[in-house]
Amino acid sequence: MISINEQKNLLVTLGNKLPKQITTYAIGGTAMMFLGFKESTKDIDLVFTSSEERNLFKKTAESFGYNEMDSVIVYGVKNNRPMMINLGNSRFDLFLMDVIDFTFSPSMQERAEQVHHFGKNLIIRIADKHDIILMKCATNRARDEEDIINIVKISDINWNILIEEAKKQVKLGRETAFLEMGELIEKLISKYKLNISKKIGDKFYTLLKEQAEKKKKNYDKKV
Amino acid sequence: MPTHLSMKTQEMLNKISGIQTIESIKSALKINKRKAIYLIHSLRKKGYITTKQGPNHIRIYNISIENALGGVSYIDIINKYSPVKLSSSEVYKIYGREVSIEETIIFALKTRKLRYIIASLALFRRIKDWNEIYRLAKKNNLIREVGALYDLVQVIIPRVKKMPKFYLHYSLPKKASEFLYIIPHLKSRDYSLIENKWRIHIPFNKNDLEEYNYDINK
Repeated sequence: MISINEQKNLLVTLGNKLPKQITTYAIGGTAMMFLGFKESTKDIDLVFTSSEERNLFKKTAESFGYNEMDSVIVYGVKNNRPMMINLGNSRFDLFLMDVIDFTFSPSMQERAEQVHHFGKNLIIRIADKHDIILMKCATNRARDEEDIINIVKISDINWNILIEEAKKQVKLGRETAFLEMGELIEKLISKYKLNISKKIGDKFYTLLKEQAEKKKKNYDKKV
Repeated sequence: MPTHLSMKTQEMLNKISGIQTIESIKSALKINKRKAIYLIHSLRKKGYITTKQGPNHIRIYNISIENALGGVSYIDIINKYSPVKLSSSEVYKIYGREVSIEETIIFALKTRKLRYIIASLALFRRIKDWNEIYRLAKKNNLIREVGALYDLVQVIIPRVKKMPKFYLHYSLPKKASEFLYIIPHLKSRDYSLIENKWRIHIPFNKNDLEEYNYDINK
């Protein structure tokens, strides 16, 4: 576990060592810490929009003794796994645009309004809480569900943002977005008894149905 | 250390985050003074509270989880030196280094927001590193803007030093240069001499700078 202050010191050290300014996006537990939902996190999840910047970050971290590790251990054989590096109790998961089944879309980048500038050269923008839910829905690790519940319980969620973003994700080719969100809402209502309107879950399943029908039509046309 | 803030703590923080006094905390949480003091003590221990002295020696608390991170924002720097105060919900925090006056000026100009630019004028008289401001202004295409606003500051604030010759030499535009706007469509009625010298439209008039009628030694 790494606390918010340890994380800050680590990022300042890296920011001062980076040879040029780079901008990255914090998602997951790190973003939750900055947004006040958590006091510590197991790993630091960052999304880069260019491979050059991701490599530069990794190289800089490696100069402090960080070692690359196999992401299959944590993420299994999922697509778009991050590059992972660790040292002692801190681990970085470095994604490049795609986070497993989701793309860190331009609208997600726009919603990341909080900016934190560490040392000279490391700028981290913090993903919006709605997008954290979407990403956590995609990574689906054991503790992600707990994090989602925490965000939904504590803050006001505008479900329309999630519906619209899921639509964008499907357009970007992330076909499972409606399904995953539908399943999540269902679980939050039935298993965790959260106060969410059933209509929201239904909306995702309606969109999923439309998506399937559209696909069928396309197949029929081809035949 | 627990991974999450407990739900109770989080809900309580939601209720009292922002500016508070002992009395307002007591009413918000419906607790007595002793409990309120203990709460402030424990939140301060976590770094969530910053305290300021208000009128009549009343303690004013700013409560936020973000306080635990520390850091400085450009707005903090502007508010420290300017008579024109800014308030913003935007979060831009800097950690692990001192934020210079020079980069704060460039930040304010880059926002292209009227109040930010007016507030930042107070910082121009504190420019120490002209090489740095030249470098930053050049990088952000703001060389003429900085020059024009510095000339303006010399008019509105007493005892401002002269601009170094090198800055003038490298920054003054040719007479045929196109006029640039600091804020699109906004130009001045009162500062046409400066505007013509730098070929820059200054986005405010004398009346907009009333807050600068202050004692500079304060």
